[in-house]
Amino acid sequence: MTGMEAISAHNGWAISAIGVTIVFTGLTVLSLTISQLHKVLAFMERKKSDSQKRAEGAKEIDVSDIIIPGDMKETAREYKMIIDRMDAPFSLPRLLELSEKCGLNRPYSNLNDLIGSGLIEPDGEGYYRWKGPDNP
Amino acid sequence: MAIDTQTLKSLELFSELDSEELERTAKLIHPMRVMEGEVLALRREPAQMFYMIMKGNFMVSFKEGKAFTLHQRGDIMGWSTIVTPFRYTGTIVALTDGEVLAINGDEFKVLIQGDASIGEKIMNRINPIIAERVPYFSREAREARKELLEA
Amino acid sequence: MENMFMDFISNTGFAMADYRHIIMIIIGITFIYLGIAKHYEPLLLIPIGFGILMGNIPVFKGLGLGIYEDNSVLHYLYFGVTSGVYPPLIFLGIGAMTDFSTMLARPLLMLLGAAAQMGIFLTFLGALALGFAPNEAAAIGIIGGADGPTAIFLTAKLAPMLIGPIAVAAYSYMALVPVIQPPIMRLLTSRQERLIRMEEPREVSKLEKIIFPIIGFLLCCFLAPAALPLLGMLFFGNLLKECVVAERLAQAARTSIIDSVTILLGLTVGASTQADVFLTPQSVGIFVLGAASFCVATASGLLFAKIMNMFLKVKINPLLGAAGVSAVPDSARVVQMVGQEEDPTNFLLMHAMAPNISGVIGSAIGAGVLWSFMS
Repeated sequence: MTGMEAISAHNGWAISAIGVTIVFTGLTVLSLTISQLHKVLAFMERKKSDSQKRAEGAKEIDVSDIIIPGDMKETAREYKMIIDRMDAPFSLPRLLELSEKCGLNRPYSNLNDLIGSGLIEPDGEGYYRWKGPDNP
Repeated sequence: MAIDTQTLKSLELFSELDSEELERTAKLIHPMRVMEGEVLALRREPAQMFYMIMKGNFMVSFKEGKAFTLHQRGDIMGWSTIVTPFRYTGTIVALTDGEVLAINGDEFKVLIQGDASIGEKIMNRINPIIAERVPYFSREAREARKELLEA
Repeated sequence: MENMFMDFISNTGFAMADYRHIIMIIIGITFIYLGIAKHYEPLLLIPIGFGILMGNIPVFKGLGLGIYEDNSVLHYLYFGVTSGVYPPLIFLGIGAMTDFSTMLARPLLMLLGAAAQMGIFLTFLGALALGFAPNEAAAIGIIGGADGPTAIFLTAKLAPMLIGPIAVAAYSYMALVPVIQPPIMRLLTSRQERLIRMEEPREVSKLEKIIFPIIGFLLCCFLAPAALPLLGMLFFGNLLKECVVAERLAQAARTSIIDSVTILLGLTVGASTQADVFLTPQSVGIFVLGAASFCVATASGLLFAKIMNMFLKVKINPLLGAAGVSAVPDSARVVQMVGQEEDPTNFLLMHAMAPNISGVIGSAIGAGVLWSFMS
């Protein structure tokens, strides 16, 4: 048997239609799942970091009212303003995070300069203290 | 680009290696430029790369906001690549542009475990550094090991 | 003494060979030539080509030399093919060497991999129409998946007597992807379409890459359980790669295991193409259908990409559709090549890997579906 007759006799049309549908369904479902996966992971990560912050008792420090005036060039003063809002001794990564939040220019290298110049010093326990003048 | 053995010899970590050992080690090392703010390792992630500072300044931060900074040529970062549970205990970020020598953790492990002489010389240098840094992450390291044992 | 000498002469391959052996030996040498001189899939064509030479040395039946004789060494090695052991091991290696990031970054492109599987089912219909039995038609149809291991796996399950021609057809066409696909790609797309640039894919996190093989495995195998041996190994290999902590196993899977199995698979598949079982009108039909299958698969992917563009705000380059046939990574390279002919600064390779890899998954699901219908 050959031709259309053979296809019909062996359920060819039905098998092909179902086969194509299953392949499309499989890859569509997988595609939809993947497209949502990173959103779910990001959401979970956010929740995790929020609860971690709460557990570690990190105070949410409001820096929204700190306006760095355009004419205030001295890096030290800018950082001192943020450090004043933090506990003493303060956390260096936290200071970095807040300085980024405030939109300070080049926070990484500036922080390095402050450490290099001795204005910020480690306390030996993993935290840091301001060692410069109160009004730099 | 391969690193020359003279440069390696000048680093404290490899200062005891003989010329053949230096050559074997040099084959695994890749110099890498880093940019200010670049993250080289993330805390709790599988430790894949071991780094040595050639130039630049770096911060290693831990749980609870603890951190230390590294500024010297030859300072090492990412030793978790060769110590269980092979997960970074801290996050490494570049404070300034710089240059590091990077070694793939698995290849480094094979080198250390496969050659007792190299292993001993390198671990002799790394162990005091680990001991020095333990206070920054000791609780976390204990937790990670506990998790590993439970698993 | 003269009689002994004449006996010896009559027992040599020279005396026993006929024109069919010569034809097959020429085919084998052509495969080796294409592999070495033209670099067409050398890792496959060289073992298959040499296998064809091994399988077509005329030998006395009963001495335990031929691949179809129960007690021969080749027969034992061939067991890995007929039992379907080798293809899943190859999938393990493919999983351990494949980076799914581009697919994870642009999951929409997976649909192109699904569309290209139309070739499988259209060829299945064509084979039925030509008078092949349903199980044979299904095995022939899978050539359109452009995936050698999948084709061998399904043929071993459904029509073991056709393994030789189907495997040779599948691998020949895979090797000829750079020849077969470009004319179809140019025919079905306009210059304007070929110039479309793709958006930068987003960065994919490590965690996503680790979770994907588990989710992918569960979803696909719940939907088409018959694809379990292939997809199970593919996703397992990928999990080994991405979890990092099992790097030694991943390394073994993507080097020594896949290399050993490729040698054994290529050699025994080649040796299975003995002139008397290979040079038949049926084989000619399989080759014709296989070529048609490849063309249909390529065209389906391209046309589906054009259809998708009707609904998308940010258009995709329809050339990517051609990478939906799973010949990894050759069809993705061809997309890059054709795209660069129009605009040398347009890099499509990375994007083409997404439909390319989803094509592998799609063809394995397709094989699973056909197997479950036919068994």
